[in-house]
Amino acid sequence: MKKAEKCISCGKGLLERGSTTFKCPNCEEIIGRCNNCREQSVKYICIKCGLIGP
Amino acid sequence: MTKEEKITEIDEITTNNKETNMLISEEIYMTSGAHIGTRQKTADIKEFIYKVRNDGLYIIDVKKTDEKIKTAAKFISKYNPEDILAVSIRQYGQKPVKKMGELTGIRILDGRFRPGSLTNPNAKGFFEPSLLVVTDPLADQQALHEAENIGIPVIGLCDTNNETKYLDVVIPTNNKGRRALALIYWLLTREILKQQGKIKKYDDFKPTVEEFEAEI
Repeated sequence: MKKAEKCISCGKGLLERGSTTFKCPNCEEIIGRCNNCREQSVKYICIKCGLIGP
Repeated sequence: MTKEEKITEIDEITTNNKETNMLISEEIYMTSGAHIGTRQKTADIKEFIYKVRNDGLYIIDVKKTDEKIKTAAKFISKYNPEDILAVSIRQYGQKPVKKMGELTGIRILDGRFRPGSLTNPNAKGFFEPSLLVVTDPLADQQALHEAENIGIPVIGLCDTNNETKYLDVVIPTNNKGRRALALIYWLLTREILKQQGKIKKYDDFKPTVEEFEAEI
């Protein structure tokens, strides 16, 4: 799977430890989340299907 | 109640739920206690709370639980079952996780999580999964921490006292109850098999919730 380059919530580059990339459960869109957004449970919205997480 | 009667009962419930679009009826969620939270509430889980009971217990919105189970099942079905790891330190979660592993082929780790299982290549039983499922983010924090280090997505069953740190899909539910955990894993297993195409209808899924329940 191709790795996302930027965090979907804040736009930060995904270089640091703790960041992750996964496919949206509803569509095939690739979602990236940075360490900071994951730690603070910042919401993410899929730009293709509008799925809200976590 | 015999096994056949139970299957018929579940089938009837499933048929009734076609109108509401829920996996099973709200009553089943209620009777298993999947909606009952704790007396504590975290800001992360606030959006999944329906109300506070007079005795101070927070009640989880089962419609949101249902939605999230569907999302989690879709998410899990995108991965190869052998690349997924489900962990449960909680005793009541161990049997449901084991049963889910048996039926779906997902790898499981019940009981003590040996530190380094996901990060140390020299450790006994080292395994690098692509997705992690935790029963309780608080109890399974070692697994969660190691998943954070290797940068894999995590699905977590969260009660009202849990934080959703490092979780990418949250299933709000009672993660302490024996019957609640059995029901949630039963639903998750059924939905995963449906998404993977291993069963065509819900009726084809024969195991009962009781088979997922841990012994007292």
